[in-house]
Amino acid sequence: MTLSTMLHTMSAGMLRTCGIFILTLIGSLPLGMIVALLRKSRFALVRGIVRVYISIIRGTPLMLQLLVWYFGPFYLFNWNIGSWRFPALIIGFVVNYAAYFAEIYRGGIESIPVGQHEAAEVLGFTKTQTFMRIILPQVIKTILPSVTNEVITLVKDTSLAFTLAYQEVFSLSKQISASQSSFMPFLIAGIFYFIANYVVAFIMERIEKAMNYYK
Amino acid sequence: MILEMNHIEKHFGDLEVLKDISFGVDSGEVVSIIGPSGSGKSTLLRCATFLETIDGGEIIYMGDKAAHMNDQGQAVYVSHQELRRFRSYYGLVFQQFNLFPHYSVLKNLTDAPIHVQHRDRSEAEETAMELLGKMGLADRADAYPYQLSGGQQQRVAIARALAMKPQILFFDEPTSALDPELTGEVLNVIRQLAEEKMTMVVVTHEMSFAKAVSNRVIFMDGGLIVEQGDPAEVFDHPKEDRTKQFLRVFER
Repeated sequence: MTLSTMLHTMSAGMLRTCGIFILTLIGSLPLGMIVALLRKSRFALVRGIVRVYISIIRGTPLMLQLLVWYFGPFYLFNWNIGSWRFPALIIGFVVNYAAYFAEIYRGGIESIPVGQHEAAEVLGFTKTQTFMRIILPQVIKTILPSVTNEVITLVKDTSLAFTLAYQEVFSLSKQISASQSSFMPFLIAGIFYFIANYVVAFIMERIEKAMNYYK
Repeated sequence: MILEMNHIEKHFGDLEVLKDISFGVDSGEVVSIIGPSGSGKSTLLRCATFLETIDGGEIIYMGDKAAHMNDQGQAVYVSHQELRRFRSYYGLVFQQFNLFPHYSVLKNLTDAPIHVQHRDRSEAEETAMELLGKMGLADRADAYPYQLSGGQQQRVAIARALAMKPQILFFDEPTSALDPELTGEVLNVIRQLAEEKMTMVVVTHEMSFAKAVSNRVIFMDGGLIVEQGDPAEVFDHPKEDRTKQFLRVFER
C-alpha cells in the first residue's frame, strides 16, 4: 500500500471523526445548558434526577457508556440494533459531554455576582431577559477557557468510537497498521489529531480575544 | 406621598431585622437614613425595592398597594406581573455600582428603557446622553465600566437609574465602596439632584452630607426608627440617648 492510498483510505476516517466531533458539540453544548438550568430547578425531584445523571456520567468510563448505549436496546428490549451503531455513538457522546458542559456552565453561572441579578431585577428585566441579556454573555466569557479544555479532550475522545467498531480515523489506523505491518498509519493519525487540536485552540483563542473588549 | 411603608416587619430566621417600621416620603423630599451597621437601614431599602420580601406591613407607591396586610397581619404581595409595574416607580443605586460590565456606558443606560419600557431607541439614547452630560461623563459614552474610576462608575449607575424616569430614587450607601477622594463627585451629583427636587432616600454614613442635603433624617438602631426629623434638630440637638451616642462616635 502506497502512502497516498493509505492517506486516501484514512481520509474517510478523518471525515467520520470530524462528524462525531461536530455532532457531539451541536448536541451537547445546548443540552448542557438545559441540564445546568434543570440542576437549579425549584423542583427537588428534577434536581435529584439531574444530580444522579451527572454523577453516573462522571463516575463511569465513556467507553463503557458507549457500549451500554449500543448493546443496551438489544439486551434489554431485544431490539434489532443493525443500524443503531452511529446513533448510539452520537447519543453516548452527547449525553456524556452535556454532563461535563453542564458543570462548567453551572460554575460560570454561579460566578456571576448576585449584584448583577439584583441590578437587572430592579430595572424591571424579566427572569428570561436577565439571563439572556445580562448573565449569559458574562458566563460565556468566564467559561471559555474550561470549554476549550473540554473541546480539546473531545477531539481525542472521538477515538473511543473504535469500541463500537465505527470506522473513524483511529479504528482505521489500527486496522491498516495490522494488515500492512506498518507504523505509518499511527503517525498519520497522530498528526491528524494534533492538527485538529491546533485548529481548535486557534479558534478558541480568537473567540477569547474577541471577548476581551471588557473585563 | 410617593412611598409609604407601614408597620414593616422583616426577620431572617430568628433574627428580627425590622421591627414595626413606618415612614413615608413626599414628592421632592430628600430623606437620609443613618445608623450603625446592622441597624436594618439597608434591609429597609431592599424591602422598599422588593429585593427582600417583608414579613409584615404594607408598601404603597403612589397610593398603589404593592403589599398589604391580611387578617393575620402577614404581608401579602400583588402578583409577580403587577410587581413589575411598581418597579418603574423607583430606581436603586447600589453600594457596589453593579453596572453591566459587558455593556458600554451608553448601553448600560439605554438597555432597560428600550427592552423593559419599550421606549424608542433614539429617544432612549437622547435621554441617556443628556443624563451623561449632567453627570459630566458625556465623553465616556462608549467606554466600558472597567475603564472608569469608581466615582465615574457610580455616576453612571445613577444615570442608569434616572434613565428609567423613576418617581423616587434610592441610594444604598452610594459612597461606601469609593476611595475618600472620589466620594465628593458622587455626593455633588446627588446634591444637584436634590436641588432639582428629585425625590430621594439615601442610606449613608456621610453625616455632613446628610445634614446639608436632606430635608429629613431618620436614625435607625436595632431594627427600629429611634429618632427622625429636621437634620439640624437631629444632628445638633438629638433627643434620644442612642442617637447622641451614635453621633458622638462620628464627631471624634
